[in-house]
Amino acid sequence: MPMSLFEIWLGILQGLGTTLAVTAYGLVFAVPFALVFGVAQYLTRGVARLLVTGVIEFWRSSAVIILLFVFYYALPVVGVTLSALTVSAMVLGLNAGGYASQAVRAGLQALPAGQKEAGAALGLSRPAILLLIELPQALIAMSPTFVNTLIQLLKATALVSLVTLTDMTFRAKEIAQVEYNPVAIYTALLLAFFVVCYPIALAGRWLEARVAAPGSRSSGI
Amino acid sequence: MGFDLAFALSSVPTILGAIGMTLSVALVSCIGAAAIGFLFDVVRRVGGFVGLTISFVIDFIRSTPLLAWLYFLYFVLPFYGIRLGSLTVGVMGLSLYYSGYLAEVFKAGIDAIPKGQSEAARALSLSRRDAVIYVIAPQMLRNIAAPLGNYFVSILKATPYLAVLAVPEMLGRAFDIASETYRYTEPLVVAGLIFLALALVISHGVKRLERRLLAVGAR
Repeated sequence: MPMSLFEIWLGILQGLGTTLAVTAYGLVFAVPFALVFGVAQYLTRGVARLLVTGVIEFWRSSAVIILLFVFYYALPVVGVTLSALTVSAMVLGLNAGGYASQAVRAGLQALPAGQKEAGAALGLSRPAILLLIELPQALIAMSPTFVNTLIQLLKATALVSLVTLTDMTFRAKEIAQVEYNPVAIYTALLLAFFVVCYPIALAGRWLEARVAAPGSRSSGI
Repeated sequence: MGFDLAFALSSVPTILGAIGMTLSVALVSCIGAAAIGFLFDVVRRVGGFVGLTISFVIDFIRSTPLLAWLYFLYFVLPFYGIRLGSLTVGVMGLSLYYSGYLAEVFKAGIDAIPKGQSEAARALSLSRRDAVIYVIAPQMLRNIAAPLGNYFVSILKATPYLAVLAVPEMLGRAFDIASETYRYTEPLVVAGLIFLALALVISHGVKRLERRLLAVGAR
């Protein structure tokens, strides 16, 4: 008996947990990487900056699908055995973190020099200026970009179906093996991602409108 | 079993042999994505119901993964009797997926042209057609050149997705070697490094182009 559209939809949603788990676990890698390397690229000069940029570019400029396969197949060869979930979260997370680090750095660089100077005039130490004055403003200003990166990360998790994790994409392929109804199955897969990502995109737009407002107000005063 | 450098080097010619395929897939997909993206943006400017529909289509494409689109096209089109090769499906998938992003590039590129430009063109009694060709289009091209270049790099980095459809591009070649020799690490690392090098070189070129265009714009 063929599966109903509802059963196909439910079958794909059985992978939602894995999709969300990889995304959340990926953020555990992405957020610290973006903060540490974005700030480091902002603060360092010379050789140190080259090294920081090198690490960022490796994660950001590589083709993420190849990175995933390389780490999935190569880590066991060099004696590191991680679960497919951990490898996926690490690779996808650091790739997203690489993108986000550029937003962190650009956000810091975009701040007027007067912010840093005012902090110094108040006798704040350099770390205090960074943590209390520069980072909060930069992170808020760049928050719409971070939302976009989160959506990119969520969509990139579809790749984990290629390394045996049973996410929504994997479930769709599984269902397609027992049920010849590609139109319903793959439409449902696209819809499932849309239902997850679109609200986040809308939240990002709302945030963008909110973030734009304070800046224009302060320049008005 | 460690990393066998000699074996890695021996896999380079085979993988590099597909670089032409990778670059032409990226180029054709980028042109396709730009064409669809431009069409999306032009139609969106019509406004009304049609404009809203296009906005929704763009949002839908941007909210769904490339891999899902590739599967969709690959398995759904034959269901309706449309039989295309995996290369064609792959290029269609990349074009469609990135058209949603390029529509925004065109939007930003056109919106960034000051209104005074088309008003000045009208004041000089240029026809609407001449105004678009000689005043608006050149400035739009200058505005979109760098973002378009960056998306070309993104598309290039997405071409290995087509390996899942068995398109013989560089990652596909790497997997061919891997399945023949049962050694995955070396060919995959080689493919990864070639893509990284390509991406860095082209990104650098785009950055230089951007700087030159900014200098021209500031004059």
